[in-house]
Amino acid sequence: MSLLVQSLILGILLGGLYALLAAGLTLYFGVMRVVMIAHSAFLILAAYLAWAFTRATGLDPLLSLVGTVPLFFLTGVLMQRLLISRLRPATLTMMSVLLTFAIALVIEGMLGFVWTGTQRRIQLPYGGANLEFAGVNIAVVKLIAFGLAAVSLLALYLLLTRTKMGQALRATIQHPEAARLVGINTDRVAGYGFGLGLATAAIGGTALALDSTIYPSLHWHWIGPLMAIIVVGGLGSIPGAAMAAMVLGLGQALLQIPLGTTWAQTCFYLALFVTLMVRPQGFFGGRLAQRF
Amino acid sequence: MLSVSNGLKLVGLVALAALLLSFPSLAPNPFLLSVGVVIMSYAVLATAWNFVGGFTGYISLGHAAYSGLGGYATGLLIVKADVNPWLALLAGSLLVGLIAVPVGIASLRVRGASFVIVSISLVLILLLVFQSWGSFTGGSNGLRIPRPFGEDVLRPEQHERFFLLHVALLAVMLLAWWLIDRSHFGIGLKAIREDEDKAQALGVPTVTYKLVAFVLSAFFTAAGGGLYALWFGFLDPVFQFSILVGSYMVLMSLLGGIRSLLGPLLGAVIVGYAVEYFKAAYGDSQFHLVAMGLLLGVVVLFMPDGIIPALTSLVKRFRPEASSIREVTQAELVEQRRAGQAGGPPADRAAHPVAPVSEGGHR
Repeated sequence: MSLLVQSLILGILLGGLYALLAAGLTLYFGVMRVVMIAHSAFLILAAYLAWAFTRATGLDPLLSLVGTVPLFFLTGVLMQRLLISRLRPATLTMMSVLLTFAIALVIEGMLGFVWTGTQRRIQLPYGGANLEFAGVNIAVVKLIAFGLAAVSLLALYLLLTRTKMGQALRATIQHPEAARLVGINTDRVAGYGFGLGLATAAIGGTALALDSTIYPSLHWHWIGPLMAIIVVGGLGSIPGAAMAAMVLGLGQALLQIPLGTTWAQTCFYLALFVTLMVRPQGFFGGRLAQRF
Repeated sequence: MLSVSNGLKLVGLVALAALLLSFPSLAPNPFLLSVGVVIMSYAVLATAWNFVGGFTGYISLGHAAYSGLGGYATGLLIVKADVNPWLALLAGSLLVGLIAVPVGIASLRVRGASFVIVSISLVLILLLVFQSWGSFTGGSNGLRIPRPFGEDVLRPEQHERFFLLHVALLAVMLLAWWLIDRSHFGIGLKAIREDEDKAQALGVPTVTYKLVAFVLSAFFTAAGGGLYALWFGFLDPVFQFSILVGSYMVLMSLLGGIRSLLGPLLGAVIVGYAVEYFKAAYGDSQFHLVAMGLLLGVVVLFMPDGIIPALTSLVKRFRPEASSIREVTQAELVEQRRAGQAGGPPADRAAHPVAPVSEGGHR
């Protein structure tokens, strides 16, 4: 019983991180119709930056967020303005996949080049600490990672619903032409969308670095599940992505008990396949997702 | 009746075939010959990829799934069921084509984005499955496949035979591509590539057409993977189901030109040679990832149509212009008008119908 509860809690904690990262991934798709393969490569890059920061200064890796979040936001805006917007609109979806794939390869290669392919891990004073709670053991670092993800997701939600920029972003996602008609500079907004997406990768990467071993090719293990999540949730739908992430994160954690870690990962791909067969626009997707 | 340009094309094709067929005897040493086999294998895979990528414009980053499955299907049929190697190659490829049907149905009903996501996911899931399912696939230890030719056939001789087999497979695929390119089916596929909504509105059965092209592509890719497996004799999931192999196919086709028959072959020769050179000069360092990424980025940003269209447009610039505007001097025009007025009904207008539209529209 306690094993089940433990898995349930671990699933929720993992689902939170998935939700934040999938929200970023679906945001790019919403504003630009771009499948951003490099999202998880930036995630690992942020994890490496947090690790390098801690190794160089001895401070807590969470402090690296002060630098990485603005840096990644700026990188996202520049990437959209200088690279993605240069592609022809007619073939944007396909060519942007290749372009972001190329960026992912460059990041992976540079990580291996600068810090070698050795597996890295941050040594934290509270790294081994556990919270015991009604017979359930939860690692403190996992709680911190979840808290970070939850706070960021809440901030993203407030940003999208309460601010002028958020409204402009949502308008661009819903109908770019109409947004342009009411005076929204959709090009600039798309740049901000990319910046926000990469900022989620910066936060997620730091959270990941707290309790995982990292290596350059790790991003391939993240991009598959994340892409499956945004399709299940409906491409371009942020609430859908968050909800699908929670459900699939829980599913993965629960399946780990009978199947083991490797086979449990297949639940994402199974969900992807079933969704496309039964409801190709995803479970929360609107008009937008039907056409992609 | 052969026009000059068709004659030139024929001569070029014969020269290309002669060059490919004589390569084994020209290659100075067995190592270069083995590099030649690898490059031909890339050419086969890239051309197979181009059946879906070139005709429909749907970019699959996960075609390594089908080459890997083809290799494993062939290998497992030989090792576990003791099937004749060539029969196993054919049966394995057909099996993979069958597997591609549900995958295609799932990913092709909606537009591009889901297709890309499914294509990458498939490679990742297959890597996971083939690594974990050690009892059947050999897992991370790999799968050893016995050679189809007897022990008395030496290595250089093996390379030579497999080089020619790859050329034969490539020739079959090029012929199929050429035939489809000229068929009603091919026109429908190209309409989907240019504008899927309009194609659908005009009555092209888009989903069926895409599915057929996709399954055909998976079948040929599997055949290429199986042939490679027979030659190499050893399969490791990490190299078979590698995203990188899938992206090589894309880069090769894109660099050569996805709309041209021989584009993938040209791209495979360039990229394949570069990859082999990099491996020999720098080993398997992380640096080749950076080089590959940069090259792909440059091609996508600056040369999305590939080398062959870029060269053809350069050649066309020096040819007499095939303009759609009929050039008539003012004196001729006056003469025509006068004749028209004198002769009652303007017969000359019927004699000079709307100027033929040149075959422009190459985007």
